[in-house]
Amino acid sequence: MRYYIMFLLLFVLALNAADKKKFGKELTLKEKTKISDILAAPEKFDGTLVQVEGAIVAVCEHRGCWIKISSDREFESIRFKVEDGVIVFPMEIKGQNVVAEGTVSVKTLSKEELIKQGEMHAKEEGTTFDPSSVKGPQTTIQLMGEGAVVLK
Amino acid sequence: MDFNWRAWNKILHRDIGYLSVATVFIYGISGLAVNHIADWNPNYTRQKVIISVEPFTSIGKEEIIAEAKTKLQLAEDPQNYFRPDSSTAQLFYQGITYSIDLPTGNVLKEASPTRPVLFEMNQLHLNATKGFWTYIADLFAVALIFMGITGLFMLRGKTGLSGRGKWFVGFGVCIPLMYWILYLYS
Repeated sequence: MRYYIMFLLLFVLALNAADKKKFGKELTLKEKTKISDILAAPEKFDGTLVQVEGAIVAVCEHRGCWIKISSDREFESIRFKVEDGVIVFPMEIKGQNVVAEGTVSVKTLSKEELIKQGEMHAKEEGTTFDPSSVKGPQTTIQLMGEGAVVLK
Repeated sequence: MDFNWRAWNKILHRDIGYLSVATVFIYGISGLAVNHIADWNPNYTRQKVIISVEPFTSIGKEEIIAEAKTKLQLAEDPQNYFRPDSSTAQLFYQGITYSIDLPTGNVLKEASPTRPVLFEMNQLHLNATKGFWTYIADLFAVALIFMGITGLFMLRGKTGLSGRGKWFVGFGVCIPLMYWILYLYS
């Protein structure tokens, strides 16, 4: 019984040793790219692995499968999407700074796809979505996330 | 002395079962919760409050923060600040976000506290923490398979595998198999 309790304590200690600030793969790039540069010329970065830094201004509440990172320029942010279940971002990191690495993905979505996406995002964020706000096809830019380190 | 495999089967099934009870509960309860993730949020509750203050007159970041602290009676500086658009400013505090509509002074105060116990169960079930829990979850998965196999040989005779047991096992196999076949061809 003594060994059993010691074994359990070791388990708990090992669990607490897990780094709560690192998500996914280790960061590999030495240089950061400005989010404003990506948003200004997305085609130039399409398919490129980049490292960005900013504040986490939104987190997927349902699955923790994306965060929104603020740009270095006002009124701009970029969505950092990760594979469901591979990385799970907790809500507690909202408002903290993050350094994140991902591949830039530029896609043009049709009106129908945008409405579907808008409805899905609104459901995830607990907000409302007005389909009439979608006027036509639109280019969406996001980072397909691989790893992130949340800073204080 | 003869090796009594049935006795060992019973001992291992029983003790590994005792050891796994807590994890079975965690995975079972969390399984029910996350199965319906499209209908509700099993991890967090969302709390929203609208606060109305006088319209904001400040323009710059520091001024907006200072005005917000006064109007919303906030003692500390926010962790972060963001302008999603020209009329909105967001102030982030630990666990609380204030979204200020500057022209009207309407402030949305949002918090998403975790659902106690259920959040922790979901984190373990979905292996959100990664790290060492991955190995514990692997061990638990092996234990479940082991208990499934040893469970087949717990009883003998009419109620055992050679009796009514085989029919129940057969039905148990048919349920996922039939569902998948129907799913593929319907």
